[in-house]
Amino acid sequence: MAYQLYRNTTLGNSLQESPDELIQSQQLTPQLALQVLLQFDKAINSALAQRVRNRVNFRGSLNTYRFCDNVWTFVLNDVEFREVTELIKVDKVKIVACDGKNTGSNTTE
Amino acid sequence: MACVNPVPKLYRSVIEDVIEGVRDLFAEEGIEEQVLKDLKQLWETKVLQSKATEDFFRNSIHSPLFTLQLPNSLHQTLQSSTASLVIPAGRPLPSFTTAELSTSNSSASFTFPGYPIHVPAGVTLQTASGHLYKVNVPIMVTQTSGRASILHPIQQVFQQLGQPSVIQSSVPQLNPRSLHATAEKPKRIETVLQQPTILHSGTVDRKHLENATSDILAPPGNEHEIMSEALLSQPESSQYIRLPGVVFPPQVSQTHVHGEPVLGVAGSMTQNLNGGPLSTGRQGAQHQHMSDIQLRVLKNRMFGCGSVKQPRNTEEPSSLPVSEKDSNSQMDLSIQVMDDDINEIIQIDGTGDTSSNDEIGSTRDVEENEFLGIIDAGDLKVLEEEADSISNEDSTANSSDNEDPQIDVVEEDPLNSGDDVSEQDVPDLFDTDNVIVCQYDKIHRSKNKWKFYLKDGVMCFGGRDYVFAKAIGDAEW
Repeated sequence: MAYQLYRNTTLGNSLQESPDELIQSQQLTPQLALQVLLQFDKAINSALAQRVRNRVNFRGSLNTYRFCDNVWTFVLNDVEFREVTELIKVDKVKIVACDGKNTGSNTTE
Repeated sequence: MACVNPVPKLYRSVIEDVIEGVRDLFAEEGIEEQVLKDLKQLWETKVLQSKATEDFFRNSIHSPLFTLQLPNSLHQTLQSSTASLVIPAGRPLPSFTTAELSTSNSSASFTFPGYPIHVPAGVTLQTASGHLYKVNVPIMVTQTSGRASILHPIQQVFQQLGQPSVIQSSVPQLNPRSLHATAEKPKRIETVLQQPTILHSGTVDRKHLENATSDILAPPGNEHEIMSEALLSQPESSQYIRLPGVVFPPQVSQTHVHGEPVLGVAGSMTQNLNGGPLSTGRQGAQHQHMSDIQLRVLKNRMFGCGSVKQPRNTEEPSSLPVSEKDSNSQMDLSIQVMDDDINEIIQIDGTGDTSSNDEIGSTRDVEENEFLGIIDAGDLKVLEEEADSISNEDSTANSSDNEDPQIDVVEEDPLNSGDDVSEQDVPDLFDTDNVIVCQYDKIHRSKNKWKFYLKDGVMCFGGRDYVFAKAIGDAEW
């Protein structure tokens, strides 16, 4: 099963909101909306694994770290993200990372 | 377009894949194709609004109909303004200024060029459907086919309002028992309202409502005023003020703290439902949530108020001052009290349900020393489920425990608030706009030096999205 990790992204959140409106108007069933989200999980996982090819480096200071259920959650402060094309600085960033060692088996399609 | 970050394309492809994937699913379920299209449009619209991607729309569809895509943060505005759209200065939107805009300083409808338009302030936009929107601040207009996106927030609002019916069933259990009406309020108002309302609510609980209602109504008058003042600061508050049939003074309780649904004042809620759902929803998700609970509470109360009130006729002098803790514990105790005529609502400090038994008795005793002396165990027992043991304990432990529980209760708040402060740091700390969702290959640490080897991540900084296949980072803890 693909990670449902990416539902909390701009793309994922907007996708979660969209069916709600259709459900209200009885055009969509909640079950179907769930299926849509599952499909999204698969699609985003495979897209990220296959279609994205850039690298990023970052440096900052670690404020908190948490490792629970094989999920790392970090909060970094004053971080600089360096990509080939641009540099991004943020005061605070939260990183949620799932175990990527089994990614190969997670992505379907 | 070639030099633009790959995110829009990626998102586009993901959306396409997902839609294609569910197309068959939709067909199996017998869902119309149009629904799928609507879903796609909604999805793309929201993604576009998030400003995570700039040039998102590449539709070649040209139609005179265009809708105003407003950021989610403008929902409030939409609710408040019906005649004209007053868009507060939101985030700076990517500007795709077009020549047409510069010329159209007055209301005009024009064919959508096919890509998001940055509409400068002062422009009046007219959609094909006839809606006229005056743009006071720069907005971004994107093209969507289908219903106007503006309706979305309204739908969402109604959606929220529509939920109470579902929740209603779960609340009734509390309703007949709750002697006091508690209203959910925005956090800011809670503390303000608590004290004045608590005083009265306490009396209500003691009094046993109904006849007390008449008595209570008098004092609550002040409360209402107080509440109205406090509530006026928020649009929703007005709802509470308008209470035609309010029996119980609205109480403000921190649902967040209690974690229990708070019964809202019935009268106001119904009115609000009918009259101003938009205003209710205006406050955003949080308020909507509150209004939902209020609504359900309202309904519950309406059902149970009449019956509840009357049994409570046994009145005791309502002059008892009610401590804050009592009011907090009212909810818990009220459930237990139920139909007792004695109406001694055992008030439990909201923090401790299980351990509150002893406190309940003691607290009751403390506040109702005079009354308890007379009524005491027998009556109190009836009220409490475990009354027998508790009342005995209370009677015996009153003197000694009176102050302690109170003190504990009183101190608990500051103590808890102290805890809350530290607790809040963590949630607040984790609640940030800059989020990275990814997978980790390896996380390494040496002393306080951390190394991160991440992959397949989506980053969102200040609303803008980025993606990476690999990310390597260093941080010092």
